[in-house]
Amino acid sequence: MTNPGPVTKTIVDKRAGGRWRAVLPAWSPKLGIGLGLVVLIALFGLLGPLFTGDPSAVRDIGLTSPSGDHLLGTTQTGQDVLAQLTHATRGSLQIGLLVGVLATVLSAIFGIIGSYAGGALDEVFSLFSNVALVIPGLPLVIVIAGFVPADQRGSWTIAVVLALTGWAAAARVLRAQTLSLRNRDYVAAARVSGEKTWRVICVEILPNLLPILASQFVFAVILAILNEAGLSFLGLGASNSSTLGTMLYYAQNGFALQLDAWWWFVPPGLIIALFGCGLALINFSIDEIINPQLRTGHARQNDSDVTAAKPSSGNRSAVLTVTGLDVVYRADPPVHAVRDVSLTLGRGEILGLAGESGCGKTTLAYAINRLHRPPAQVTAGSVVLHDRDGQDIDVLALDAERLRTFRWSKLSMVFQGAMNALNPVTPVRAQLEDVLTTHRPDMSKQERRSRCAEVFRRVGVDPSRLDSYAHELSGGMRQRVMIAMAMLLEPQVMIMDEPTTALDVVVQRGILREILRLRDEMAFAVIFITHDLPLLLEISDRIAVMRSGEVVEYATADEIHRRPRHPYTRQLLRSFPSLTGERGLFAMSTPERETS
Amino acid sequence: MNYYVRKLLFYVVALWTAVTLNFLIPRLMPGNPVDILMAKLQVRGGSVDPAARRAYELLLGTGGDESLLSQYFAYLGNMLTGDFGVSVSVFPAEVSEVIASSLPWTIVLVGLATLLSFLLGIALGAIVGWKRGTWLDTLVPATTVLAAVPYFWLALILAAVFATTLGWFPLSGGYDVTLTPGWNAEFIGSAVYHGILPALTIVVSSVGGWLLGMRNMTVSAASEDYVLTARAKGLRDSRIMIRYAARNAVLPSVAGFAISLGFVVSGSIITEQVFSYPGIGSKLLQAVQNNDYALMQGIFLVITVAVLAANLAVDLLYGLIDARTRARV
Repeated sequence: MTNPGPVTKTIVDKRAGGRWRAVLPAWSPKLGIGLGLVVLIALFGLLGPLFTGDPSAVRDIGLTSPSGDHLLGTTQTGQDVLAQLTHATRGSLQIGLLVGVLATVLSAIFGIIGSYAGGALDEVFSLFSNVALVIPGLPLVIVIAGFVPADQRGSWTIAVVLALTGWAAAARVLRAQTLSLRNRDYVAAARVSGEKTWRVICVEILPNLLPILASQFVFAVILAILNEAGLSFLGLGASNSSTLGTMLYYAQNGFALQLDAWWWFVPPGLIIALFGCGLALINFSIDEIINPQLRTGHARQNDSDVTAAKPSSGNRSAVLTVTGLDVVYRADPPVHAVRDVSLTLGRGEILGLAGESGCGKTTLAYAINRLHRPPAQVTAGSVVLHDRDGQDIDVLALDAERLRTFRWSKLSMVFQGAMNALNPVTPVRAQLEDVLTTHRPDMSKQERRSRCAEVFRRVGVDPSRLDSYAHELSGGMRQRVMIAMAMLLEPQVMIMDEPTTALDVVVQRGILREILRLRDEMAFAVIFITHDLPLLLEISDRIAVMRSGEVVEYATADEIHRRPRHPYTRQLLRSFPSLTGERGLFAMSTPERETS
Repeated sequence: MNYYVRKLLFYVVALWTAVTLNFLIPRLMPGNPVDILMAKLQVRGGSVDPAARRAYELLLGTGGDESLLSQYFAYLGNMLTGDFGVSVSVFPAEVSEVIASSLPWTIVLVGLATLLSFLLGIALGAIVGWKRGTWLDTLVPATTVLAAVPYFWLALILAAVFATTLGWFPLSGGYDVTLTPGWNAEFIGSAVYHGILPALTIVVSSVGGWLLGMRNMTVSAASEDYVLTARAKGLRDSRIMIRYAARNAVLPSVAGFAISLGFVVSGSIITEQVFSYPGIGSKLLQAVQNNDYALMQGIFLVITVAVLAANLAVDLLYGLIDARTRARV
């Protein structure tokens, strides 16, 4: 387990079974309103012309406001606006659909085929898409339309021109997605097994691209309707066509604006806006399939129903006491991730927390610092930090502001996977100084700088590296930077969550030695979380073994080494080859080592 | 290859493509634009000297037996010296003069409105994305309506409400025509006053797109480990939002600037038309309506160069705000 947050499944990862169900958007009010708008307007354009009269019939009742006879009034020449509106809606939808299909096909050709083939073809297609993207579309369309004489400007000409200028953005999105799909295992397997290229594309790639294709198609339709309307409004649309844009063109030229004939120019634009809005709402639902994170719903933080047990105090040699802690993921059914956990961390002690992936150790660590996110919730127990000055801090009872000042100054954390724990776009110096400017506002700039350099030296990193970005540092160095950052405020407790898991053995050794030395020098206590029990035997004072959210064994390292009581502890001990190779047996079982 | 070199090369290719398109389009289209132009020029009493004809021919195609390649090189030469021929709709002005007099209006109007809309959209998007799960979520569908409204229609509505009905702003024009253009407070004030409605149109219709993109990226960034680390560090919520979540979330918006700028420019051209704004968009349409092909070509090229330049500037900025791009080889 790498993250206690809600488990996100990415749809494109799914194969075969459930593929079609997964492609369909989940029902939501947004989708309902969107579909409703689109269907209504489509019906209006499709069936409306059958019920309304001749849109071009001229009457001598120019510019009458809406009435029983003419529900939306009349134009300058007495034509019925409602009749015109139905025909215009039909025209706009037709061209939108046509352009949408053409543009999507073009974008699929340039986006999917190029990136699937790779190499020079990809380079050329990608360059072509990017160039097409930066050349402004409408001016180009206007120029082309300007050269084609009005009588030769048919619907197809306009549709082709609009499609030619509107496919590039979608191609770029499709290319990025195809590139990532192409390297998935099952696609690679299909290729290696000698399936034909077109088959791989059609069977393995296309279905996974469907949500994106759908979303790009919807987008292309919106864009086409808007652009066609713009073009027609300028008088450059297809000749003899009747679209919402041409209606607005006549309204503008008939001085509808100056004559306050709102019924003439408001409805066409409103139809475009509502139709576009409907399509956009549908697109939202499709986007949520592509990126499940976007789903709205969970409130951010809600700890209100913690039934805080009376914190037990009086243990002067302890720095942190966790009593009866329960953490539940409010899912359906609820998952009890941490169950009645009680631990005591002595001053300067290293407490090992061992257990397999998903046993709740990371959730426990986050809950101690109240970093868990919904749907995780602390439902019972207490966390008390016994401060140096003799004060007891009930962590679960702190209000937001006091919790904020508590974090890092009393208890800091080193996360697993330091690559992602560092902000990629600012130098590490800024991320270290951030801590000092927030928690030690009185420090001068000079003092901050020297403090950062000092902690860097302590973890064995050259202070000149302070100006580096995360991507410029090696994995081991990034982890050292995280440890340096954790020491900035000289906290009394440091929680280290798999700090060395992703590193190679030599670097791992170096960092462990560093942690032990720093602990001796600065006397902070450490909760060291790892799945590697033999490693804990070497560095910890005491060890808690967790399984399914519960602490099944809690004893000194020596005790666990010599007389493991719980069968699960014995199993864990056997299943790992240790760093030194003395304990554990390689041959016993295949260790399921985490890599992240 | 260095990031900046790559970007520069790309824009050189894009520019070359645009110039070449400009050369090819009139030659691929039906009709004989040169003759039309020459006829118009004669009606206006312009000199039908061989030099004028030559300039048009290079721009629009000779129809003669001159090879396409030699036409192309002569055309490139003319483009380099800024010689786009004579405009027939604004006779006897040179195309380059017409462009020079209208371009500043558009650049100031569209540039400022786009900048304003970008900043507004980014700021609002970051807040809406960060405060997910609160009432702010309801803003999200609302912005789609704005994004789907045609620019020119919104312009019509704004004009109807604020100019015709309420009379707060002028209905059309770029400045009070009784004033002489110049760098004095009265003229600038008048220009700002006339620019408010067109600018409002551009801002209102484009802010939704920025907001939505930024909101989605902020939502993604908020679940990143570095944001969790920032919270563990006990930083203030606003600081985490700005320095960690938004700072990372803004990158795709900046990278996607090219796409959005295309929309804005397209929309602005039509907006100018509604307000009869003295910018380059109105001139382009005037040129199209009058078959002033030379002016049309010149304006298309200038708009393209301006858009490419803006994109290049943004790409260079991107290199500054994301150190990783500079490292990538």
